[in-house]
Amino acid sequence: MKQVKRSKDHLTKWIIRALAIFFFLFSLYKIGIIDQRILQAFSRAEHLVKGMFPPTLDEPIDIAGAAIESLQVAVMGTFWGIIFSIALAIFAAKNLSPHISISYLVKGFAAFVRAVPALIWALLFIIAVGLGPTPGILALAINSIGMLLKVYAEAIEEIDHGVIDAMRATGATKFQVIMQGILPSIMVIFVSWSVFRFDINLRYATVLGVVGAGGIGWELIRASRVMAYDQVMGVTLVIFGMILIAELITRYLQKRMDIVNLRASQ
Amino acid sequence: MEMRAERLIPSVTEKSRTDVLSDLKKRKRVVLVNKAMIGCLIIALVVWSWIGTNFNLSFLYTGFTNITKFIFTDLLPPDFRVIGRYINPALQTLYMSYVGMVISVILSIVLGFMAAKNTSFHPVLALISRSIITFIRAVPSIIIGMLLVVTLGLGPLAGTIALGIGGVGILGKAFADLLEGIDKGQVEAIRATGANWFQVMGQGVWPQFKPGFVAWSLYKMDLNIREAAVLGIIGAGGIGYTLQGNINLFQYKQASVGILMIFILILIVEFTTAKVREKIL
Repeated sequence: MKQVKRSKDHLTKWIIRALAIFFFLFSLYKIGIIDQRILQAFSRAEHLVKGMFPPTLDEPIDIAGAAIESLQVAVMGTFWGIIFSIALAIFAAKNLSPHISISYLVKGFAAFVRAVPALIWALLFIIAVGLGPTPGILALAINSIGMLLKVYAEAIEEIDHGVIDAMRATGATKFQVIMQGILPSIMVIFVSWSVFRFDINLRYATVLGVVGAGGIGWELIRASRVMAYDQVMGVTLVIFGMILIAELITRYLQKRMDIVNLRASQ
Repeated sequence: MEMRAERLIPSVTEKSRTDVLSDLKKRKRVVLVNKAMIGCLIIALVVWSWIGTNFNLSFLYTGFTNITKFIFTDLLPPDFRVIGRYINPALQTLYMSYVGMVISVILSIVLGFMAAKNTSFHPVLALISRSIITFIRAVPSIIIGMLLVVTLGLGPLAGTIALGIGGVGILGKAFADLLEGIDKGQVEAIRATGANWFQVMGQGVWPQFKPGFVAWSLYKMDLNIREAAVLGIIGAGGIGYTLQGNINLFQYKQASVGILMIFILILIVEFTTAKVREKIL
């Protein structure tokens, strides 16, 4: 019996592998990857690379302003995303929701919002509220809700009841239970996911300009339209620097938090 | 938090009560000061951004009422007569993300292998590979796509290669971290039996590397389908291009078909990758 099952498993794996390879070759054929353009691309790439170096920033002040706007859009998008997610997570978590159907409704909303990419939300918000940083903020906020709402609700659902019961047994009031029992146990998940989302939002904020939602992405599109590749490279490097610095700062703050907590507990 | 409580317990039994209480208060104060500092920093950042973007609370209300109104009057009901025009781009998006995934897996294995300290041929090579991975990770794939559209022309080819290169940022890091985390003992044991390099890799490294490798590669597929859907906006092929075209012509009822298609495509891919993950692992 075991032998049969194992050979069956083996067969399934081989079928998956064969299908994967077949689909790969089929996709290659469909995309037309073996194309004359590939051969021509080398000379064009050479031209492009020559045009890109040395990278320049034509109007450094404008680009710095656009970069700051992107950062601010990311901060505001994350901020509103977190606020709405917290408010909705209370209704989405099964153990806090007034009714189970409300929980499913809110979770379904989150799943839908999450499945539509952020840039498409930005496209829609530009039509709905016009150009500028506002559609970017709203698009990032709504896309963040899709992800954060899910993890916050799961964090609330997974609260250890033992901790709460133990606190109640000591005669703690409801306020004390929330402050000392519930908040500390969800705070860790809460903070780490929010920080992670900020990193994602910053990446999106830098490219939102591609669809016309302001920020540094717009500078990039503008430079590439006039085929000023040295400027494209310059702006790309600025974006690279922004994302890298933000990552380093958030990582530093997290580490510092961990170290302080560790030291306090020794 | 639970860890902390456990660590505190032995100290409680060792010290006298008053001592413990004052000690605990002191520790709480240190944590509190740190939290307050980070909190102030975040509040300052939010206030600065609020002012910088001229944000107004009323924007939230108008924004969300406008988008709801837009969705219900302009986007809905979808005009399903144009579904035929969306099927080919949707399939193209699927091919793009799949080929893109394969390309990034191949590139990432090579780069990740060289970037991991324990498998790299030389520390300098490891540093260079890590730097390349970090650089690619910090540059959004839509920017890579823009540059490739210039080199390769409009169409799915540019998008596919953009996905392939962009994926190295995530997969390269993941693979390098996985390789650095493998158990040395197993590798050493196989090497001790006199196995050659290929046998060590196949029997010692690969079994430990495989679960993470499969999980991350499939996760990349999930990400790719989202990215491929929007790469079309810059002309790199796929469903985004048709969608952008409809939006530019104010054909919102047709655009909503595109959005629905993207939604369905993402769900199908996520379902399939979940099934494959189950079967392989």
